[in-house]
This record gives sequence, structure tokens and C-alpha cells, in this order.
Amino acid sequence: MIYLDNAATTKMSEKAGKEQLYWSCSKYFNPSASYEQAFEVAQALAGARERLKKLLGVKRGDVIFTSGATESNNLAIRGSVRDGDWNYIFSAGEHASVLNVAKALEKEGKNVKYIPLTKRGDVDLDALINLIDSKTKFVSCMFVNSVNGAINDIAKLVKIVRERAPRAVIHVDGVQAFCKIPFKLEELDVDLFSISAHKFHGPKGVGALYVKNKATLKNMIFGGGQEFDKRSGTENIPGIMAMLVAAEEIDVRANFEKVKKLNDILVKQLNHQGIEFVGTCEKSPYVLTFICDGVNGETLVRMLEKDVVVGRGSACSSKKAGNHVLESMGYSLNKIKGVLRVSLNAQLDENQMEEAGKIIKKKYLELLEKMK
Amino acid sequence: MKAVLLRFGELFLKGENRHLFEMALFNNIKKKLQGEKFKLSKTQGRLMVTEFDDEKTIVEKLTTVFGLHSLSVADELDANEDSIYEYCKNIKLRAKTFKVEVNRGDKRFPIKSMDLASKLGEIILENNIDVSVDLFNPKQKIMVDIRANGKAYIYDKVINCQGGLPLGTSGKALLLLSGGIDSPVAGYMMAKRGLKLEALHFHSYPYTSPEAKQKVVSLAEKLSNYNDEIKLHCISFTNVQEAIHKYCSPEFMITIMRRIMMRIAERICKREGLGAIITGESLGQVASQTMQSMTVTENVVENTPIFRPCIGMDKEDIITVAKKIDTFETSILPYEDCCTVFLPKNPVIKPKLHQAENEEKKLDLESLVEKALASEEVIFVKPNE
Repeated sequence: MIYLDNAATTKMSEKAGKEQLYWSCSKYFNPSASYEQAFEVAQALAGARERLKKLLGVKRGDVIFTSGATESNNLAIRGSVRDGDWNYIFSAGEHASVLNVAKALEKEGKNVKYIPLTKRGDVDLDALINLIDSKTKFVSCMFVNSVNGAINDIAKLVKIVRERAPRAVIHVDGVQAFCKIPFKLEELDVDLFSISAHKFHGPKGVGALYVKNKATLKNMIFGGGQEFDKRSGTENIPGIMAMLVAAEEIDVRANFEKVKKLNDILVKQLNHQGIEFVGTCEKSPYVLTFICDGVNGETLVRMLEKDVVVGRGSACSSKKAGNHVLESMGYSLNKIKGVLRVSLNAQLDENQMEEAGKIIKKKYLELLEKMK
Repeated sequence: MKAVLLRFGELFLKGENRHLFEMALFNNIKKKLQGEKFKLSKTQGRLMVTEFDDEKTIVEKLTTVFGLHSLSVADELDANEDSIYEYCKNIKLRAKTFKVEVNRGDKRFPIKSMDLASKLGEIILENNIDVSVDLFNPKQKIMVDIRANGKAYIYDKVINCQGGLPLGTSGKALLLLSGGIDSPVAGYMMAKRGLKLEALHFHSYPYTSPEAKQKVVSLAEKLSNYNDEIKLHCISFTNVQEAIHKYCSPEFMITIMRRIMMRIAERICKREGLGAIITGESLGQVASQTMQSMTVTENVVENTPIFRPCIGMDKEDIITVAKKIDTFETSILPYEDCCTVFLPKNPVIKPKLHQAENEEKKLDLESLVEKALASEEVIFVKPNE
């Protein structure tokens, strides 16, 4: 079985697994306690924040450890909402953990606006110029779109926002970018940045929110005051330490080049009438989304599952009929029905790509024949 | 001590065979209460559960036993005047009007029923403030049942049970279980008439999802609350559907599908010793449930009756039962079932037998049925406790 649904989740690294076990069974002390053993854990936790900032490529600011990207995104948005005549801007292609918070804000009477996607698949920055004004309080845009792989031009977005909305806080969901796309957070100059460990071979249930200026973020979870009083609850030390080990194992630049090659092989293999690749903008090589015309993607996923495991746009919403990203790009529901998302990791090899490509094509044609 | 008094439904109609029905009911109750602490006894042709710990669970379980008409949780005391009077002195009424009814199963008891009732009424009146007797429309009825075992049973509530006939006394049958609202209701209705159910489900993996199949297992689980254990036969219908789609006219897709389902169902009935096929069809609900469609469909079944208990029911009525037996919420989960795969735009509403037979000539029927049967997976589904 070739696993190609790495944007949904990845296999955990064994080294990270050992690290998790070590901090669970040997160094299990509560870092908030007063004895020496606890102090050692607290030191490790403080070290972990610095290690993560280094990996993100940023010197200023802080890291708040969370239970994953959904919590990070919720904290980023909810923690930035203020009373008054503000507006909040979200890209239409965001993950459910952003979009559904935006919808909740709308219900609560906030002025919420959405930046559409271009036909190319990335966020329409020209449209953003028309939406933004000095009353914009918050802008959220994902770095790499989890559904179509589009890399949004965050540097350009930040420039637009800073020029027109000096009071706005900029949040970037970096889940599909961190440890995959080479970047330096310092250069992007965003205020908030979400990551999730299980997308880069770390454990599930742990993530982080980078915060440039923690004074501007409101607390959402009250309790013992951990995580700078922004996110109370005993820290998930085993998860945090394992996440760091998983991230430090990755050579982002080398992997990026390798996965690019793997992606190219797959594209070549899948090049066939009826298969339409989604998105023409700059895309992450880790995600390849395409439409298999005339068939139901869900059926195809199940036909493939013994040989190749692929996804359908996004795991979180794969059970629902539509696909908001492809809809925003202008695809018809009929086309969306046939969508498949292949997502890679750097441990795959070229032979597997060729094989996977051949199998996907073969099964697609088989199903197409049956549907005639 | 507490006792649950059980009342039969239609068993009294069964004449010579009555003891067989009673025995089945006795055994079904014992099986249903398995795992609980209880004693089931039979006196003067009446059943009673005593010596239990968990009254709520015992009552809940008993209300799902077919063949029981109603039950009451009673206090058991010695059948003598003193103890009955003493007990009645302590009754605190819930309502403002009441009535006492006495039934002397044991005529040796020295006071006549009417006299005892009025005596007890007086005692209760004396010990409750601001209440009165209403013989015709009382808000609370105190029932006193004096039995030949030397005990009296006093209660004030009658809890309705399922009624019907004891499970298994009508035989065994095969329910076609789709995942929709109607088929579990049909199964429940026939189980209530004493049929022990097995179920047959057709899935079209990979066109249908594993969730769709799991949904059917969940429905069988709910039904098994009334049916003990359900043997669920799951058959892959994918090859059959692909073949029909490939070779037959699209408008006959559903007709041919259902004819093949019926053939498979009858084979399973024969093999498993099941006496009938049960479907959730309701006249005119969809194209395959018109009179003409059903005529063409059932034509392939040689000598097994097809029971369609929902045939004359409106959807609302079916939903009411589905809610009562707690299958509704599961039935409306949005997973595709096999009938929605390759669904034609215009299915034939009034098919003719010769048309269907002509369409089927394009298929290797025997091989398709055999292959489908070879894909069978059997799941034994038990109530989820």
C-alpha cells in the first residue's frame, strides 16, 4: 500500500515516538511544580519554545503550545476579536477551523468579509485591496492551501494589509507549509502563525501558535495560567518534545527539491484525457489535486484503497458533498464530484510514484468504463 | 417486596395451543432478562418477576418483549386484612381523586371484593388530606390483587408493553434491510407478530461506503432489542449492478435489481429455513413500489410469501413507528445505499413482466446470483447494552 494522503496526516517518526515515550514515562513531572525534577522539565519546555522559533526562522515573539491547528486557529481569531466597528477578513479557501469561526463571528453580528480565490487557485489579492480599509481588525489567510496546494503570496498580502489597515492583525495558517516549504517567518512579518505536529511526522494532538506580540492576544482558556496565561492546562510535554524532534529531523530544502521531482513523476503518469489538474498558480509539490472527469471520487478512493491511499480535497470535510475551495475557484459540482487529492512526503521514492500514478490512472479508466 | 405483574396480550385467543405460546413467552422473558438478578414465576396462569435489584432496567427490558400486553410494579404483602389495612394507611396519594379496585383471584379471602374496596377507600381517605373518591373518572387508581399464593399485590400504575405474539411463535423470516426508514419498521411490525427475524443487506462497495454498511449494522442492533440476536446476511451487489448497467435498458435498472434481490433472498430463506420475506415497501412511495412493479418483482419468488406490513402506511405513520423503536435517527444518516448507485433518470413505473424477462435474457442470471451469494458475509448482531 502506498500512502498518499499526507496532507490529512503523516506517519509519526520513530524518533519522535521514542521522545514522546521518554517524556511520558521517565520525565513525567509537571513543569509548574517546585521540585528539581519539575524544574528540569520546565527548562526543556522553555528550550522547546526557542527551538521552534529557530525552526520557524524568527527571533522575536513567542510560541504558545496548543492541542493542534484547530485550537491555534480558534485562539488566533477569537483572541484578536475586539468590540467596536471593526471588520474581519478571511480567505474563502481557509480550513474549516478558520472558516467556521468566521461564520460564528458573522452570527454574533461582526462584520466579516471573504477574499475569493482566483481561477488559478490562490487568494485573489486584487479583491483584498477592495475589501480592506482602516477599520480592518484581522486578516486570516493560509500559507499553503490544503485542498489545492496553492502557495499564497503572504509577503504581498502583508504589504497590502500593512499599507491599508495599520491596526490589523495578520494570521497565517501554516499547517501545510511548516517543515514543507522553505521560508523564514521573520521575513513574512505576520502576527500569528499556526502549525500542527501530525502534518510533519509528529504526534497528533499537539501544535502551536506563534505570536509576535502576545500582549495583543486575548486569553480564551482560563485556568492555571500556563502558556503565558493564554492557554491554561498542564502542558503536553511529551507531545511538544516529540513535535520538536520530528521537525528537527526534517531537511526542508532538500525534501522540497525531492518532493518536487516526485510530484513531476506523478503528473507525468497521470497525464491522460479526463484527468484535469487543479490550479495553475504556484503550488506546493506536496499536494497534487486533480479531477477525474465522469466518475465519483469517493468510489475511486475506495477502489484504490488496497493499493494507493489518496484523499479527496480535505479529510475534515471529505464526507460532505461539496468542496468550498474548488467551488470558490469556479468548478461545477459535477466536476467537484470527481476530485482526488494526492499528498506526498519526502520518504516516498520515484518507483512508488510511478506505480501509484499507473494504478490511479488504470482504476480511473476502469471506473469510467463501468459508468458508461 | 416488589413484584412486576405481567399481563398477556392475545394469548388467551390461542385455545389448545395456549401453553405453547405461554412457554415461548416464559423463555423469551428469561432470555431478555439474562444478566440481571430476577426470579420469574408462573401462578394461576399469570407471570410475575420478583427478587430483582434494578427495577428500572427490568421494566425497560420487559416493555420490549412481544406478547406482553402490560405490566405493573406492585408491592407484595401477605394476603390478610391486617397487613392490607396497614399498607393502605401509609398510602400517600399523588392525585386529588381516587378509586380502589379489588380483584380476588383467591375467593377464600373472607371479605368480598366490593366491601374490601370500600373499606380500603375509607382508610385512604382518613390518611390523606383534601382528596375524594371518584368511581367514574379517578385521577389515581389503587389496584389490589389477591392471589391464591397467599399474597396480595397493590399497585397504581399500568405500563403498556408491546403486545403482539411471543417472538418465534410464528416462525422465522428474512427482512430485507436497506438502511432507509421503512425496512426496520417492517421488521419490527412482523417481529411483533411472532416472527423471529434474520436480515439481508445488499451493499455496493466501492460505490457505497463502509459507513453505509455500518449504518445497517446499527439498525439491526436497534431491531435486535426486540428480536434477541439478528443474523445479518451482507451481500455484495456490485457485480450485479454493474452487469445490469452494462447490458440492460437504464429504465429497468431498479426492476431487474429488485428481481435479483428477491431471487437471492429466497435462496437464503430456503437455505436457512426461513418462511417468509419481509420488505418495507409502501404502495406508490417510489417507482419500484407501484402495484405493477411489485407484481413483476415478486414473480421471481417461487413459493415464499412476501410480507409488506408498511404497504398501506403513510410515510408519517412509518416515521412515527421508526421514532418509537429508535431507528429513525440512524435511518436518516446521509449515506448512499445501493439503490442510489446507477440510478436511472426515468425508472419504469409500470413495468410489464415480459419486458423485464426480456431484459434479463441479456444477463447470465444464475452466475450473477451465485457470485453474489458467494460474497456473503454474516454478522451476528446483538442488542447494544
